[in-house]
Amino acid sequence: MHITGTTIAFLVLAVTATFSGLGVILFRNAVYSALSLILNLFSLALFFLVLNSLFLAVVQVLIYTGAIMVLFLFVVTMLAPDPSDTTEQRDPIRWQKGAAAGLGVILAGGVSYLLFITTLSPAAKASAEDSLSRMIDKVGSIQAFGLALFHGFLFPFEVTSVLLVVGLIGALVLGRRASRD
Amino acid sequence: MPPDQPTGYLIVSAVLFTIGVMGVLTRRNPLIQFMSIELMLNAVNLSFITFAHYLDSVDGWIFTFLVLTVAAAEVVVGLAIIVSIFRSRHNIDVDELNSMKG
Repeated sequence: MHITGTTIAFLVLAVTATFSGLGVILFRNAVYSALSLILNLFSLALFFLVLNSLFLAVVQVLIYTGAIMVLFLFVVTMLAPDPSDTTEQRDPIRWQKGAAAGLGVILAGGVSYLLFITTLSPAAKASAEDSLSRMIDKVGSIQAFGLALFHGFLFPFEVTSVLLVVGLIGALVLGRRASRD
Repeated sequence: MPPDQPTGYLIVSAVLFTIGVMGVLTRRNPLIQFMSIELMLNAVNLSFITFAHYLDSVDGWIFTFLVLTVAAAEVVVGLAIIVSIFRSRHNIDVDELNSMKG
């Protein structure tokens, strides 16, 4: 196989993403899990860069590794369990972790096998008229994204704003101290 | 592998998704379950971006963007729920959260 820069980048990022993903579910301390998740999300942002989507790579870093993970770390440290807490130690279902590992390997292996034996049909590609690469060449990456968002997907975009308002109000209602009545 | 077929990226995506599923099913700390859900959402985002690149279509980008927004709203509400549960019960073990009423 011909070794190119893309291949090397892919291998490094794939290993980083997999091990930091495993770190999220294997660390006992929730702070380590959160830091591992930050590494994972960052390696995914680099994956997006390799796949030519500049805007989403930047958004991934800003929103996920920035805003969402700061919120996570804030809550994790606020709810720091006291060291005597043995919630995770005692295990009501003892075979659970082994079974999860075995079934997980079967699931990932099965999907990987299916992906290996299939190939992408050239007929599935977008027509040359509205293809992404053509738009990127013509107006640039971010402009191509914005044009698609505000022309083809205007309604989902507006629904998203309603969703954000609902989330905001929900957080306000849940975060309020319960009145003593 | 990477230049003409999306296989490698999709396999990474499948592996990350599986790790997320295992996290949700085996951990008892709701914060870590939440992080595993984020892991799954991001695994799906990776396959969306992969298909956007290999099918040469912008739809995958838009979907990823919408998933990002939904994830942000979901995290805000979910963490608020976890904090208010912690306030009323002073522990956050999902096995003990079996009543809808505080």
